Amino acid sequence: MGNKQTTFTEEQLEAYQVMLESEEQRLHGRFRELAPHLVPLDYTNNPDVKVPLTLIVTMPELKENPFRERIVETFSEDGQGNLSFNDFVDMFSALCEASPRELKTIYAFKIYDFNRDNFICKEDMDKTLNKLTKGELTAEEVALVCNKAIEEADLDGDSKLSFADFENMISKAPDFLSNFHIRI
Amino acid sequence: MISELQRQHSRGEYNYVAGDGYPGDHHSLRLRRLSSQMSIHDFPHYNPSLSDAGDSEAGDHGQPRDLRSLPLPMAIKKAKLKSRGIQVPVLSKVELWKQEKLKKLRKFQTKAREFLYFLVLWGKTIQKIGGNFGGGVKSYFLFLRFLVVLNFVSFLLIAGFVIIPSLVFRQVGTSFMNSTGNERCTIYEPNPPGLVVFYNFFLDLLSGTGFMEYSFMFYGYYKNTMVENNSFSYKIPLAYLFTAVFYFAFCLICIIARMGTAARVAVATGGSTVVNYSMTVFNGWNFGCLGETATKLKQKNLLYRLQVDLEEESLKKRAASLTLLKKFGLHSLRLLMALLVLGLNIAAFYGISYATTYSQEQQNKRVNKESDRIQDLFFEYLPSIVISVANFLVPLLCDQIAKVEHYSPSITVIVALLRAVVLRFVGLGVLLFTLWDQITCTGNMDDAKCKECSYNYASYACWETRVGQEMYKLTLFDLLINIAVLVLVEFPRRMVVDNWSSKVSQLVGRQEFVVSSNVLGLVYSQTVVWTGALFCPLLPLINTVKFVILFYCKKITLFSNCRPPQKTFRSTTSAFFFLVVLLLGWMLASVVMIYSIAVIHPSRGCGPFRFSDNMWLIIPTSFYNLSAATQEFLFFIGSQAFTIPLFSLSGLVMCYVIALFSIYGKSVGLLRLQLKRESRDKQFLVKQIEELSR
Repeated sequence: MGNKQTTFTEEQLEAYQVMLESEEQRLHGRFRELAPHLVPLDYTNNPDVKVPLTLIVTMPELKENPFRERIVETFSEDGQGNLSFNDFVDMFSALCEASPRELKTIYAFKIYDFNRDNFICKEDMDKTLNKLTKGELTAEEVALVCNKAIEEADLDGDSKLSFADFENMISKAPDFLSNFHIRI
Repeated sequence: MISELQRQHSRGEYNYVAGDGYPGDHHSLRLRRLSSQMSIHDFPHYNPSLSDAGDSEAGDHGQPRDLRSLPLPMAIKKAKLKSRGIQVPVLSKVELWKQEKLKKLRKFQTKAREFLYFLVLWGKTIQKIGGNFGGGVKSYFLFLRFLVVLNFVSFLLIAGFVIIPSLVFRQVGTSFMNSTGNERCTIYEPNPPGLVVFYNFFLDLLSGTGFMEYSFMFYGYYKNTMVENNSFSYKIPLAYLFTAVFYFAFCLICIIARMGTAARVAVATGGSTVVNYSMTVFNGWNFGCLGETATKLKQKNLLYRLQVDLEEESLKKRAASLTLLKKFGLHSLRLLMALLVLGLNIAAFYGISYATTYSQEQQNKRVNKESDRIQDLFFEYLPSIVISVANFLVPLLCDQIAKVEHYSPSITVIVALLRAVVLRFVGLGVLLFTLWDQITCTGNMDDAKCKECSYNYASYACWETRVGQEMYKLTLFDLLINIAVLVLVEFPRRMVVDNWSSKVSQLVGRQEFVVSSNVLGLVYSQTVVWTGALFCPLLPLINTVKFVILFYCKKITLFSNCRPPQKTFRSTTSAFFFLVVLLLGWMLASVVMIYSIAVIHPSRGCGPFRFSDNMWLIIPTSFYNLSAATQEFLFFIGSQAFTIPLFSLSGLVMCYVIALFSIYGKSVGLLRLQLKRESRDKQFLVKQIEELSR
């Protein structure tokens, strides 16, 4: 941070048309903050640097989020939560304000799908609920809530939520876009 | 493609191949990333040429927009961009120019929106409140802002058509009707303005008498002046009446417009009275929540919501499983409690009525100016005091009663709100009824006091001014009580809780901002203003100032003394509910206005209507001064030849809209069924493919 200027090639800046140059540099600053010994200032050679999960979840924007590990895992290439700079930018651009609703829905579904089988099944919901309430509900209450939620949202009757079910349910929420938004 | 699937399937991965699974781009394929090394070769189904063919048809949305909506990793987006860069179609100069202009326009639009947002009254403050204290408290402040703007615009209306012309034409105009009837009734002598001791000045300010009585403040000051030039004529009484009626109509339109937007939101969310577990679980957490305290709070909120929902479920189950005897016992208990609440309310109403009567008698008796002014002030404010005490005590007792009644939590909240609403409105109604009783001798025109002047002249030389004064006192007292509670209760409570750690103070805890009672207070004040606006034209201005002061006071107490609510208040339906209650208040006020205009004889000694038998009679009188053509036109509009076709036409339109509404409802249900069937078809097809590939 400070006066250090990160360098990218012209080509890379063009490639990141999805984002402004200033935002790009700011994100790189934050990325470097997490592991200054790992992340170089000079990105022109596209170095293959990955910051591990344990360091990324220390970010103030993610620190208190109950789903922080799931978020980082979803955006990581190896599924273990180690983010390269590309993945880092990916994550925050998907969760930013201007991100379209469809994209956010897709990633929300991925985040809540703990076992990555393309469906949100009962175990996924159990884990979600426990993370939300930090284990303050009893097991029967958790089971009850999960049953009810699946009952409400499941349209095709397979007692688990496919993407279509999830999307249909989320489309009724007017504040989904503002809830699923991390400002960095 | 089948062999691909086979390969993927045997690897234990599942590539979700679909066109409409992930919406947004029907031409390209979407893939799920699993634990595999990233490279473009891992996406065998990804066909750049196919996708580009689709994207280049996207037209002037531009490339960045499309790329953004793809759920692909950054590496793939970069590759896509590179490949697209090679294949970019040559755009003509016109196209390029159009794209540039569109980009600039979009930038300008976002900048303009940001600037306008800055200009919105208290926008930043309200957002801060919403962020710190949640949607319920924010909806209270939004409602307050709406009322401030409504009052201010109404004041401009009244000022423009009544006050300023009165001011301007007072010296110029002529009185256009001569007094008829009893000379004795026309004597009206408010305290003549002169040199007043400061002490008296202050007391007069508080009670609306003295120098304030004969001023633009109240009805009594306005004369029935008329100005007539060659092309321009302006009658103050007509203007006064029309302005009052239009003021009411304008407020009604504003409320209904705002109700429309609130209802739309409530309908879109499917109505939050329906318990929605899935929404709470998946949409409950605000990802932007930062900081330890905020996240703990959010968690407690969610926990509370879920627990409330679960409790409702278990209560429903318990209610369904009660034996007949127990049900009978529960219902009879509830009936008993309802009767008790009714008894409490009646006691409160009787108290209000008695206080009003006593206060009026004391005010009428006040001949001796040397009497104790403080005591007089107390008697004048007696109705307000009784109303405030009743509005505080009775809900408190009803809360205790509700604990016995064992309703489910949401019904308890609704019942408490309804009881508070009824108490406030009927209390105000009782006060107005008592005033009417005094002024018109209970409607009995043959009573000795009312025979001469058709109203109680002995006590009320100018009864409209008196009613205006009562409304003014109610408004002022409401503001004073709010500020007093702030200073004397809330700040000390905070200081005690913060600095003196004991079990009691921990139990009591910091103040919580109770939205419902505050909103009812606002609705009550607004109803008082509406009732009084006919008799006190400056009341909307006073109310605007009052609400502005209230805004800042409530904001200060919120940020200094209150803790964030742990129990959330469903804000989508509540905004609608506030407006419904406001509408009820409007109806009460309009009943008063219509009755005053149409039935009661105006004072003979003051005001612009002193020479008519009714306020309404000014309209027929002026009507016959219009040109013949206009008269005929207006007669036609009022006749049956016009209104019956109009009614039948509006009935037809309503039937059409209702039919449309039911059709949309049915088609939504059908579409939902179709969605279910589609996914089943998809599963069936995938199974078929698997079988065939074996």
